[in-house]
Amino acid sequence: MLKVENLDKTFNTGGGNVHAVQKVSFTANDGEVVAIIGASGSGKSTLLSLLGLLDSPDAGSIDIDGVQLANLDSSGQTKYRSTQVGFVFQQFNLIPNLSAKENVMLALEFAHWPKQDRSARAEAMLTMVGLGTDKADRRPAKLSGGEQQRVAIARAFSAQPKLILADEPTGSLDRSTGQKIVALLHEAATQQHATVLVVTHDEKIAQMADRRLEIEDGVLKEIA
Amino acid sequence: MNAVRRGIRNAFRNAMRSVGVVVILAVAIALSISMLIARDAVTTKINTVRASTGNTITVSPKGFFGGQGGGTPLTTAQINDLLGLSNVTGVQESLSENLTTTETSLKSPTLAGFLGRQFGGSGAGVGGSSSSTTTFTIPVRVTGTNSPGNAVTGGANGGGSEKLTSGKSFSPTSNADVAIVGSTLASKNKLKVGSTFTAWSTKITVVGIFNASSTFTDSDVLMPLATVQKLAGASGEVTSATVVVNTIDNVASVDKAISKKLGSVADVTSTQATAEAQLAPLNSVKTISTYTLIGSVIGAAIILLLSMLMIVRERRREVGVLKALGAPNRSIIMQFIAESTTFTVLGAIVGFLGGILVSSPITSALVNASGGSTSTGVSGFVRRTGGSGFTGGGSGFTPPAGATGGGLRFGGLHSTVTQLHTSAGWSTLGFALIAAIIIAALGSTVATATIVRIRPAEVLRSE
Ligand SMILES: Nc1ncnc2c1ncn2[C@@H]1O[C@H](COP(=O)(O)OP(=O)(O)OP(=O)(O)O)[C@@H](O)[C@H]1O
Ligand SMILES: [Mg+2]
Repeated sequence: MLKVENLDKTFNTGGGNVHAVQKVSFTANDGEVVAIIGASGSGKSTLLSLLGLLDSPDAGSIDIDGVQLANLDSSGQTKYRSTQVGFVFQQFNLIPNLSAKENVMLALEFAHWPKQDRSARAEAMLTMVGLGTDKADRRPAKLSGGEQQRVAIARAFSAQPKLILADEPTGSLDRSTGQKIVALLHEAATQQHATVLVVTHDEKIAQMADRRLEIEDGVLKEIA
Repeated sequence: MNAVRRGIRNAFRNAMRSVGVVVILAVAIALSISMLIARDAVTTKINTVRASTGNTITVSPKGFFGGQGGGTPLTTAQINDLLGLSNVTGVQESLSENLTTTETSLKSPTLAGFLGRQFGGSGAGVGGSSSSTTTFTIPVRVTGTNSPGNAVTGGANGGGSEKLTSGKSFSPTSNADVAIVGSTLASKNKLKVGSTFTAWSTKITVVGIFNASSTFTDSDVLMPLATVQKLAGASGEVTSATVVVNTIDNVASVDKAISKKLGSVADVTSTQATAEAQLAPLNSVKTISTYTLIGSVIGAAIILLLSMLMIVRERRREVGVLKALGAPNRSIIMQFIAESTTFTVLGAIVGFLGGILVSSPITSALVNASGGSTSTGVSGFVRRTGGSGFTGGGSGFTPPAGATGGGLRFGGLHSTVTQLHTSAGWSTLGFALIAAIIIAALGSTVATATIVRIRPAEVLRSE
């Protein structure tokens, strides 16, 4: 269960202050897929980076299963990123000189997953996203965009996080591949009891989510 | 797979760049290692020269080498006087003569082709010989000495004392017609203990064979001083004397005392002073090599530092991804240190081998470049003066400065200075290792600072 209250983030740029996230409050349940839509520059990525502790908010609170993220020290934050959150990026962001399986195992390593179980877990995750053993040992460059994003999803879910943050995961894919990816996120969310936040520009993709939130100039509101 | 293994793997991610970085590092490390070897070799040589020449003073007839005619030989009486000076522990006297084939039955083992031309080049000095340069044969050097066992010490004649390999020596005061001969000469002339040969029309008996580990001295004949004085008709004459001083500290005062005593008839040269003059260029080589050593280590560190900085910048996004995946800074830093260490270790291996290969030529190039003017060897050079076949330069002989025309520069301090032995020992290997660690550590620090500063939020922005 994710509970966000009055989250605020302002950037000081040379041209003045940018209020990227303004008093954002919402909740999301386990297994729920929430789409976040909004124009470019509306603050979608900023919101995700605050939720993933990649950046710290100026004000407000984030609560995951009763844990206040603001109370975490730096090693607690690192632990949170490795065990409680999974990221899926528009650019896939796989490590280019590691195979698909090694990319998944990397997340397991950072999450201190038991060494002897990592290989089997990575293979299971790749199978879950529909990649067979023939693809497991390939490097990202030898996989299609859709396949790379599947690896990224396997990586994001591998350490059983409670929250998946996907920033335009379909932005680099064609519509039908994108829809398959979102369907996969849906499936994984249900299976792993994780909350998935998907940022998208695509109305069709957004409609696949359980709920839709719209952000405009940093202000978030629920779309009925 | 842990951070270290990832780092090692990353070192080979861009083959071209890896080769480039490794090669540049290898060159810098090779340079630093060869400088270290050169420095070691020079230091050893300086110490050896100091140790071997420190407490002796050579006395030779005035102007003996200045003109082609030679000076007036010193007398045994004059030399024996020196024993009375305080702090003098002994005086080694010698009278050297070069015997041509008409004067001795011995044949020099030295190839005429090798030295003949140099003899020929010495002009009037050789002109006295009846032979023309084309048919010139190398004379045999006979040295009369009152210090058998020590007759070739003091850096003279290539350094080292003669060691008897068979037979026995003669007593310092002997005047018997006996000789100990160098091993090279002995084998050339098929001499054994008990063999005889003629010199100055006299039958000389070989009582011992010696080895001084120098081809030139091993071609020599050592005889009692009194015998040579008698046979050569040079009674009471010496061509060289080496005064041994009790401690190095007293060399200067004894040097003064000798000069005062002998006045203008002799050239007095303390080997210490000459050695220091000779060592000056070596000392500068030492300084140069030290700075080059430090410079190349720093250079290597800068190269690695810049390379790592470039690599970290290039993988900025990847570092952000690792952070977003929950990698602690420590793990990411470890990964980059492993990568830079891989470069360094490869560079060190290649550089170490390269350094050993180039250290010898570099060392001699450095020494020759800075020691090129030291043609006045401290001692041990032999040349003929005048037609009599009289030869100057026995043990410990020092020509006055500038008397270099026609001098044969073999044996003596100059060649020992030049004969630097370069070697790569464990200490060098240890240094290579330490240098590599320092380089890797320095090279990683700035990269590390950059890694820490990369904000993971950056990965959310598409480029
Ligand atoms: N590090 C930063 N420094 C300064 N301004 C920033 C920074 N990050 C974001 N901003 C600003 O905050 C606002 C929101 O940016 P954000 O990246 O969250 O938008 P977005 O909704 O993700 O846009 P897009 O759809 O184009 O990805 C923008 O005006 C942006 O310029
Ligand atoms: Mg964005």
